[in-house]
Amino acid sequence: MGGVEGVASYLESIEEGKEVNAFLDLNPRALEEARLAEGKLAGLAIAVKSNISVKGLRAACASFTLENYVAGYDATVVERIRKEGGVVVGMTNMDEFACGSSGETSAFGPTQNPAAPGRIPGGSSSGSAAAVAASLCDAALGSDTGGSIRNPASHCGIVGIKPTYGLVPRYGLIDLAMSLDQIGPMARDVHTAALLLEVIAGPNPKECTTLKVEPPEYSRLLSRKIDGCRIGYAREFEEFTDPRITSVIKKSLDRLERMGAEVVPVTLPNLGKGLSTYYLTVFVEFFSATRKFDGRRYGRKIEEVCGREVLRRILLGRYISQKEYSGKYYKKALQFRSLIKRELLGALEGVDVIAGPTVPKLPHRLGESMDPMAMYGYDVLTVPTNLAGIPAGVIKAGEVDGIPVGLQVQGEPLGEQKILNVLYALEDGGC
Amino acid sequence: METIIGFEIHEQLATRTKLYCDSPTNYRDVPPNTNVCEVCTGMPGAKPHPVNQEAIDAVVEIALMLGCEIVKGPIYIQRKHYDYPDLPSGYQRTSLPIGRNGNLNGINIWEVHLEEDPGKYDPTSGKVDYNRSGVPLVEIVTAPDLRSPEEARNFLRELIKILHYTGKARAEGGTMRTDTNISLEGGARVEIKNINSVKGAYKALKFEIARQKSLRKRGAAVRRETRAFLEAQMITKTMRLKEEAEDYRYIPDPDIPPLLITPEKIAEIKAAMPETPGMKERRFVAQYGVKPEDAKVLASELELANAFEEVAKEVDPQFAATWVRDELKRVLVYNDKSFAESGIGTGQVVDLLRMIQAGEITPKTGKKILEILVAKPQPVERIVEEMGLGKIKADDIIEKACEEAVAENPQAVADYLGGKGEALNYVVGQVMRKTRGRADAKTVLEMLKKKVQG
Ligand SMILES: [Zn+2]
Repeated sequence: MGGVEGVASYLESIEEGKEVNAFLDLNPRALEEARLAEGKLAGLAIAVKSNISVKGLRAACASFTLENYVAGYDATVVERIRKEGGVVVGMTNMDEFACGSSGETSAFGPTQNPAAPGRIPGGSSSGSAAAVAASLCDAALGSDTGGSIRNPASHCGIVGIKPTYGLVPRYGLIDLAMSLDQIGPMARDVHTAALLLEVIAGPNPKECTTLKVEPPEYSRLLSRKIDGCRIGYAREFEEFTDPRITSVIKKSLDRLERMGAEVVPVTLPNLGKGLSTYYLTVFVEFFSATRKFDGRRYGRKIEEVCGREVLRRILLGRYISQKEYSGKYYKKALQFRSLIKRELLGALEGVDVIAGPTVPKLPHRLGESMDPMAMYGYDVLTVPTNLAGIPAGVIKAGEVDGIPVGLQVQGEPLGEQKILNVLYALEDGGC
Repeated sequence: METIIGFEIHEQLATRTKLYCDSPTNYRDVPPNTNVCEVCTGMPGAKPHPVNQEAIDAVVEIALMLGCEIVKGPIYIQRKHYDYPDLPSGYQRTSLPIGRNGNLNGINIWEVHLEEDPGKYDPTSGKVDYNRSGVPLVEIVTAPDLRSPEEARNFLRELIKILHYTGKARAEGGTMRTDTNISLEGGARVEIKNINSVKGAYKALKFEIARQKSLRKRGAAVRRETRAFLEAQMITKTMRLKEEAEDYRYIPDPDIPPLLITPEKIAEIKAAMPETPGMKERRFVAQYGVKPEDAKVLASELELANAFEEVAKEVDPQFAATWVRDELKRVLVYNDKSFAESGIGTGQVVDLLRMIQAGEITPKTGKKILEILVAKPQPVERIVEEMGLGKIKADDIIEKACEEAVAENPQAVADYLGGKGEALNYVVGQVMRKTRGRADAKTVLEMLKKKVQG
């Protein structure tokens, strides 16, 4: 399908799939735009996370703070999608300001997991993952600061890519933690994810942190030939992971070996230390990023209307960024970050990619109460990727009791093609 | 009791666009909130563009002009958080020092930074104009090396001169903002904000010294605090006490990689940099044989210095220096104008000095012409014509003849001064002879009387 009929049918599905609560705002001009669409993504229906600016649509970040904020400009990634004929169908639900790993912190209600009814879809790109999984769009944009694309991709059984930091412009992305945030594609298949990635990637001269590299045509270069590919696996993953998940992941690795890849052990002794480093960084940067939501310009003052998780992060950020603590916390976090980066890059030196689980636990039931630390624990396997600035991709590896489990493949900086090829090989369904 | 004064001076840089976006900087010429974009209004999702290179170069140049060393390692742009309506993102971006350890006329310069200007908030109407938001600023921090309001005033004037010399600071004036630290020996340090001019700084310091002295006299302690200068009333008023001091929660801006200023870049800027006033002074002395005190006055204004050099190409440099320094500068100061503002052309000065040197007009007439020039620049010829060249020349010749006659006849002059009134008639005769009878005897007599009596 695709084109006008495709978009029209998605719009119908969105209407019918309202109970998923994947969308917060819809594009009233979607059909009109589909009619005029030309380019690589011509007529593909793209859902956009509500923290990415799309001119004329609400970028509410699933918060009462920005409930009525309509973006006045297109994020660079959206400009690029439009230029290639992609049609933004709507803005997706998410954890409020991307603060969460379950999709439950949205001010507008949680998103359902279409692949595991009654369970959380994961977060924070919950609506994007659910929209893809429920076939409410061809692909979606998510943002990933510590796992926000990969975590819901894993729980919803779809493909999600967190690109190398700086590969994809952040211009127009509403900040969680500026030094970690990356926009990335989410899709039902690797080819679509690769296609969307090659459209949105590439330097932005109006931004300081994009890399000056032109991305290859990932979709054209996709290859399932992975014989000789060295895939690293760290035993430390197992310390944090539900054994049922580990066993699904190991089966995937076996499949890769049967396809000719070589699985080699790597060590990541500091794996567990990423979490505190990550959260200290997020608290401080998020506190800074939210100072503009002072109620003077965008309706409401954030501290007065936000949910508990957002408030917790702002207050902790305010606390640890105090002059007297800055050396103790934030600067220490930055130091630890380089340690973790060195460790991951070191481990990647001897292998092509590192593969392992994405989320250490199965998604909990919607509404089940969890203390913040347990919630943060969901991120232990995904945050090191962001701290190191490297790319990673997730694909469904299998299921535990009918709940999807995603394999996470991490690679060296700008190693997106290698990652995509490994995912592509697994997608084949062979062996 | 010693007074200890230090400054933090902010001045806008004369770049075409803002520091982190493409919005233009001519905010005074346009309606409110028109020179804006999503970056300088802090719209959600907007990110700073790469730092304006013109602004970085300007700060490096200013730092070099102030004798600073340029920081070699990475220079982070920090976020300084505070909550005020003029600050669209809730933080101001300010660089760590770009230049350090400079010196201007014996006053140590601690640091030179690059900053962005906030918008303009009008508390009365409650409106904010973001046209100014993101305009680049240079911040100059001095050591507490100043000892009096007078010294402070001179220093600020000198600093403005340097900024003007570079051509990199806003020329319109009135964009300078200063914070000052002041304490009396052994007393607490008080910071004064909201000072917008050299005069304001002087008045604020005068007031503050008097206030602190009177507190001491009464046996009260000076509190460590931040005070605001109220320009209209010329007083300072408590803003906040030390305990209420804001914590800006500085963090390196994650959106902006640190600046790196290469030795090549520094060399390039140095090569294209104008001379500092100090360098110019020394060169004038060496190259033109000008007296050091003349050189200092000549170098005080870039345009004046340039004019002097032009004039010195055409007429004797020492003669030119004396005239430019003593006469031209005097008339300019009297009229409260800079050389640039006066609109006098160097050609006019050259013409004038040539006529004086050739004896075509007396120095006294020359001074008169200068006054007319400063009031209304025009060709010297025309002034001479309008004043009546013949008469000028005649007067000048008579005056010259009188001077000669007095010099040649000391005995007659002595006799006259001794009480012999008729002795002067002899001198009159001599003048008449010299002027071949063209002079009026009565006039000559009057002129001579004046001359000999001094
Ligand atoms: Zn702007």
